[in-house]
Amino acid sequence: MSESLPIKPSQSTTLLSSETMAKLERMELVSRKIFRGRMKGERRSKRKGQSVEFADFRNYVSGDDLRFIDWNLFARMDRLYLKIFLEEEDLHFYTIIDDSLSMDFGEPSKFFVAKQIAASLAYIGLCRGDRVSVSSFETSSNPIVIRGKASAHRLLGHLASLSCVTSATTMAESIKRFCVKNTGKGIVVLVTDLMNKSGYESALRMLVAREMDIFLIHLLCPEELSPAAQGDLRLVDCEDGDQREVSISAGLLHRYQQALAAFIEQAKSFCNKRSITYVPARSDQAADVLVNEYLRGKGLVR
Amino acid sequence: MSWISALGPLQWLMILLVPPAVLSLYFLKLKRRELAVPSTLLWRKTLEDVHVNSIWQRLRKNLLLYLQLLFLAFLILACLRPGWSGQNRMGERRIYVIDNSASMQATDVAPSRLDLAKKKVRELLSDTSADDVGMVIAFSDRADVRQGFTKDRNRLFSAVDSIPTTSHGTDVSEALRAAAGLANPGRSSFDNLSDIMVADAIPATVYLLSDGAFGDLGDFDVGKLKIEYIPIGETKTNNLGIVSFAVQRNEDKASKLEAFARITNRGDQKVEFTASLELDGKLLDASTGSVDALGEAGLLFELTDTDEGQLKLTLDYEDALKVDNVAYAAIRPTKQISVLFITPGNNALETALQTPRVQQIASVQVESPTFLSEPAYQAATLDANFDLIIFDQCSPIQMPSSNTLFLGSIPPAIANTTISNTIPDDSKSNGWKFGEPQGPAFILDVNRSNSITQFLEMGSVIIVEARVVDSGESGTVLMTSNIGPVFAIAPRGPFQDAVLGFTIVQATSEGVGVNTNWGNRRSFPVFVYSLVEYLGGGITESSSPTVQPGWPIGLVLSKRFKDFRVVAPDGQSTDLVRGDESRYTFTKTELPGIYQVFAKGIEKPVESFCVNLFSSRESDLAVADSVKMGFDKVAASGTTIQARKETWRWILLFGLALLVVEWIVFNRRVFI
Repeated sequence: MSESLPIKPSQSTTLLSSETMAKLERMELVSRKIFRGRMKGERRSKRKGQSVEFADFRNYVSGDDLRFIDWNLFARMDRLYLKIFLEEEDLHFYTIIDDSLSMDFGEPSKFFVAKQIAASLAYIGLCRGDRVSVSSFETSSNPIVIRGKASAHRLLGHLASLSCVTSATTMAESIKRFCVKNTGKGIVVLVTDLMNKSGYESALRMLVAREMDIFLIHLLCPEELSPAAQGDLRLVDCEDGDQREVSISAGLLHRYQQALAAFIEQAKSFCNKRSITYVPARSDQAADVLVNEYLRGKGLVR
Repeated sequence: MSWISALGPLQWLMILLVPPAVLSLYFLKLKRRELAVPSTLLWRKTLEDVHVNSIWQRLRKNLLLYLQLLFLAFLILACLRPGWSGQNRMGERRIYVIDNSASMQATDVAPSRLDLAKKKVRELLSDTSADDVGMVIAFSDRADVRQGFTKDRNRLFSAVDSIPTTSHGTDVSEALRAAAGLANPGRSSFDNLSDIMVADAIPATVYLLSDGAFGDLGDFDVGKLKIEYIPIGETKTNNLGIVSFAVQRNEDKASKLEAFARITNRGDQKVEFTASLELDGKLLDASTGSVDALGEAGLLFELTDTDEGQLKLTLDYEDALKVDNVAYAAIRPTKQISVLFITPGNNALETALQTPRVQQIASVQVESPTFLSEPAYQAATLDANFDLIIFDQCSPIQMPSSNTLFLGSIPPAIANTTISNTIPDDSKSNGWKFGEPQGPAFILDVNRSNSITQFLEMGSVIIVEARVVDSGESGTVLMTSNIGPVFAIAPRGPFQDAVLGFTIVQATSEGVGVNTNWGNRRSFPVFVYSLVEYLGGGITESSSPTVQPGWPIGLVLSKRFKDFRVVAPDGQSTDLVRGDESRYTFTKTELPGIYQVFAKGIEKPVESFCVNLFSSRESDLAVADSVKMGFDKVAASGTTIQARKETWRWILLFGLALLVVEWIVFNRRVFI
């Protein structure tokens, strides 16, 4: 008989409480890069445009819009100058949730916490009029794309409908599909446990190549961080059914901690080298605390 | 080093199986619990540097295994009991004398006195050191050395366990003599007075486990024996027992029988009881009675119209000793002795044979000497129709197959073929010799130990003429006169021949003359009655003889049959083969009950006898608190024996259990 850690296939608790939503409404997503958006938004753009924010002057050339001539300057200098304003644009915000079976562990499950994080960040984006795209590995080629605060219920409904799937899709394949589909730039938040035997490096490299502002939220559950198992066990991998026989001992647990630390350290250094923001997270930690404190500290939200 | 094993072969085998078992624990593939984990990625990395395929490499690093094997090695070494043989030290000699008499069957102590005694001996045996030698003697009314001196404790244990219960009486002296054999060696010879002692006296301790129902041993010399008396049983134990049960015919009415029982109460309270009498397994009569404390009571049952059968008297009273609550008796059918009296004429003897007492037990046929030559006589003697044949002044050619009495004649010589009606002058018969007639003669001495002459008073008897009777080597002289022995008896195969050296009346040429005045004396009919009763083999008692369990019984059986078998109460059959003796001795009388003797080819038993305990001493269950031995009085040693309880086996087992627990804990690494 196989015994498994408690699995919660469906969380009855809501992804976002009203207090959390009230808190999130005051925040905004911050990108370290300025991206070209598709529509006029609330963000400064590299492009000059019609906003209240002054950028520069330039000489008038024929054909320029007469409305932007600075008539005061013409009066003083008797030359025509054009006022240039900064254009304000919307931000593309992508959230990708790892939906492999390994995410279904922990209390609450890592997957639920991932959805909470995704919902929180997406809600912030919606409130600021950003273009928000939410997908899982499975649905990475067909994400939900929403805009505006009014779409919050769609966002939450979509997130609630997501569940962990037994999928042959690896992380690399999903990211590849995502990159093909979404040509625009923006912020990508990847919530995953990185427990992928084929490796996570190629997937992250693809994202890096797209010059996106990447945040990697490395979500681990307590069972992974400090296993409480005892005795002689046959460990069964929930994804590929791989079996390992272990006799839990103090020495073995110590070695496990070393392996875990090395794994985290490796991921962290990989991310740092490629200017991916690595955010370690625990599934037993409240999602709003993560968003409020850690991500603010990391500069994703403000 | 001297190796004395502390364990038996089987236990050794088990111990030697432990190290392989421990080793196998380490090879053992555990049945592992399955546990689903998010990913084995990290575990794989963890195990990469630990996982070793070779079991030997795994064992090589296991410190616990080596510690455990070392521990086992010491454990086995300890069980080998290594020691150094220094001076060959002789330990103490201990003699365990265990009472297994009837009273030890009492259940006043659980499970029974004998079992308790065995238990105590086992405790004592456990206490002995390896150098001590022990000996086990069981005693009832005889001693039974169950095991001679040995150091082998297992043999002593099995000897103790094999002691059976008996229904015998108690006599400890034989057991103590056997025990004393080594401690107080006697002289090897009585002729050589300088040889006082053949061996050094070796002191020994005698553990006497008994209820003390053997009285004092007045003349027993304890010598170098140290006697520890360990009383077994309760001091105050109520017990009701039958000490006597007999059946006899009513003196007045021959058809009436009376069964009489004596019941003793050894308790300190007056006891009411019910006694039931069964005849051949059917309830015949029941009676109630009461016995005072330490008193006795009699019970009388009157039986009418009962000529034979087996009686069983049962006391319906719950007490500690069951064996004395039942008594058996068998009623024998009245048996007529057939007597053939061959005489030329003897009024005195004929009259004596006509007395009512003799008539009651015997039927007498009187014939003249001419009868000896008749075919009827030949047939009768060959078929052994007569129990006793009296030859008055005559003798047959061949001795008949029956007991005989010769008056004034002697049995014929084997080769003698002439019929002699007169007194043979020269008799060279079977050891019998007659002297010349002498007279007068008077009887000086009568053999009082013989049943025939037991009650005779011959002082006033005068004999005119008598001959000296020489019965040969095997004979017994019954009467001695001033001229020599005149009455003797001698065995002839299973029969007995008695020869009287004078006649009562004598046929002379002048007619019949009286030879002695004995015929007028009162002792004469007594003599005739005793003679008929003894030589006729007529046991006229209506109840069968009874003996105590284990005692031999002499059986006088009819000469008509050759082969007999005795059927015990439990149905066991023992064959009796006729020897030269006229009496059979039967010894297998262990079980109380009624024993029946069957003759070959006859359905009805020809004889029966009973085995009953009938011992007020055995029925007395009170335990003596001291026993007197010679001048020493041995008080009971503390009822609690300072016995050493061996616990090392349990510690050994605990150690092994600890080993297993250690292994589990270490391997699961639960608390480390």
